[in-house]
Amino acid sequence: MRAAALAGGAVVVLGWPWAVPRYFVFLASLIAINAIVAIGLNLLTGYTNQLSFGHAGFLAIGAYAAALLTIQAPLVPLPLTLLAAGLVTAAVGLALGVPCLRLEGLYLAMATLAFGFVVVEAILNLDWLTRGNDGLRVPAARLGPWPLATDTSRYYLVVTVAALLIVAARNITSSRTGRALLALRESEIAAQASGVNLAAYKTLAFVVSAFYTGVAGGLFALVVGFLSPDSFDVFLSVDFVAMIIVGGLGSILGSVMGAAVITTLNDSLAGFQSYRPLIFGAILVASMLFMPGGIASALHRAQPRQGDRA
Amino acid sequence: MIVRPSLLLLLAVVLAAPRVAAEPGVTDTEIVVGGSNSFSGPLAYTGEQITKFGIDLYFKVVNDAGGIHGRKVRAVYYDDGYRPQDAVANTKKLVEQDNVFAIIIPQGSPPVVATLEYLEQQKVPMLFPYQSSPVTRGRRYVFQGMTLSDRSSRMMIDYLAGTRKFKKFAALYQDDEYGKSFLAAFEKDLGRYGLKLTATESVKRGVADVSAQIAKLHAARPEVTFLVLVPGPAAHALRERQKIGWTDTLMVSTGPLTDEKYLALATDAANGVEGLSLWPDPMTSDLKGVQLYRAYMLKYFPKNEPNRYSLAGYFAGMLFTEAAMRAGRNLTRDSLVTALESIKGFETGILPPLTIGPDHETQKQGFWVRVEKGRFTPLTDWLKSE
Repeated sequence: MRAAALAGGAVVVLGWPWAVPRYFVFLASLIAINAIVAIGLNLLTGYTNQLSFGHAGFLAIGAYAAALLTIQAPLVPLPLTLLAAGLVTAAVGLALGVPCLRLEGLYLAMATLAFGFVVVEAILNLDWLTRGNDGLRVPAARLGPWPLATDTSRYYLVVTVAALLIVAARNITSSRTGRALLALRESEIAAQASGVNLAAYKTLAFVVSAFYTGVAGGLFALVVGFLSPDSFDVFLSVDFVAMIIVGGLGSILGSVMGAAVITTLNDSLAGFQSYRPLIFGAILVASMLFMPGGIASALHRAQPRQGDRA
Repeated sequence: MIVRPSLLLLLAVVLAAPRVAAEPGVTDTEIVVGGSNSFSGPLAYTGEQITKFGIDLYFKVVNDAGGIHGRKVRAVYYDDGYRPQDAVANTKKLVEQDNVFAIIIPQGSPPVVATLEYLEQQKVPMLFPYQSSPVTRGRRYVFQGMTLSDRSSRMMIDYLAGTRKFKKFAALYQDDEYGKSFLAAFEKDLGRYGLKLTATESVKRGVADVSAQIAKLHAARPEVTFLVLVPGPAAHALRERQKIGWTDTLMVSTGPLTDEKYLALATDAANGVEGLSLWPDPMTSDLKGVQLYRAYMLKYFPKNEPNRYSLAGYFAGMLFTEAAMRAGRNLTRDSLVTALESIKGFETGILPPLTIGPDHETQKQGFWVRVEKGRFTPLTDWLKSE
């Protein structure tokens, strides 16, 4: 059953560009990028209960890091560029995570919100490097001998990276580390009493979350092809939070589904213009009221399992 | 879990349904154009006026008069909220899903620049982008809308240094492409008169307080002070100048500041500010075309006040219609480009007779205005930039 679902999913993902019109290939790339961010954010919020409204900032750092590296050092292979984008962002995540250890709930949300604004200001003020307000055009990258010039080639790159990161996230969450993080979410005191190092794990969650978002940023730069501080406003951060709420906190599959739902929704609401925030907000409120555990838990409940007690 | 893949496949099949059209966006009965614009974010008001009350206004007039060679014309818009990535997504969607014939009057430099390469590659016309950076020059499928910054500069300097004989110039500019491109153009044009900017001060985007810069410029005692800013800081600069009682300089504003709505931000501190206006006054001008525009606005959108943004959109609709009429029944993207290039001495009743040459620029002029009690009083006839 599980293997069949996985195989089916793989066929759909691999066959997607050949079955759908070109625009949906681009859209699927955006979904996969957002899914990576959502998984990263979920590792932080869903697993350790640290809410972040600053992930657009991490995405910006990853995107600019990858774009600048592609421009300044075009000979660096693409996988290394993406890795570097992730590592640079992870370093910033570490720098933000340590002081944030003292903050909880609303205060943490405010600090991360401020972080998002600081990143945008930094991009504006480092204009000798980032071209500030004017925006940065990202040249088409190459993967070894292949130029990634089409939506389809970039799609395959994005879904490959997303698949790797999903597997990695599964490994993290089902390991000792994942259980420690979950214990933290349920009760920090109880977790500490059982020997979980609070500071170390909370910081680790920040670093891993930033790494994921940084890699996603690198892919974002490649797929969109143009970066500007306007790309990374606070509403983008809110979208990421919406993805994990709709998808389901603490669920990797939920993150992917949340990303798919919010991205598709944003895309289809683009035509509703000024009503867009209203419709979007209503959908969010409704999903919180009627589906508090997100899509993941709704599916879980709808699906009877062998061995379930009646 | 087996449900999901099959659902997706079904979706894929539905979405892959073929479309048949000789030229994208052109059928026997209809022409569809589209645009990504701001309906949320900092330029939401402008975006809505340009599109729904501008382009659509003109298209209603055209359609009620029988359309373009028997085809009705319709526009599809998506909101990008001034975010480049959304502009890219929207533009791809318009071209690949909605099969629009052309992109019409997208707004703002970042969204426009983000989509330039893609549209040029796809050979889809980008018509009359509403931004002033010269990056749109030299592309076969792009026809610039708003007067470009270097042309504005030439007209401003020719008028101020040539006609008005001012000698000492200073500038307060936003530290980005918008500000710097004006600054470079000012230096170049002043050079022709053997002059240069005696003092310049910069403002980073998003900074609201410009009092230190105003104090420094005041100390340099220029006769003319250019404000190359966006509305917020520009209004602050004007109020600051009023506060310190700096009266012996002429404040001249560029670009987005030549607009009643934004000048209202500065209230009475804006009195006496001069600048280049790219459009006749939409509320009071007695030019034939502007009167007609007001009459149509009253007929189709009686609740919406005339303003220069909807006038710009209306004008874009008019220009598109003229070109599509000239291209004839056999309308293609390339025949539209040829038709646009062939426009000579076209009477719009709004701007001077319009000629589009190989440079693809549709607006090259402006006239000098002074702010008096929150409105613009014209001081000159149309100035030329060639």
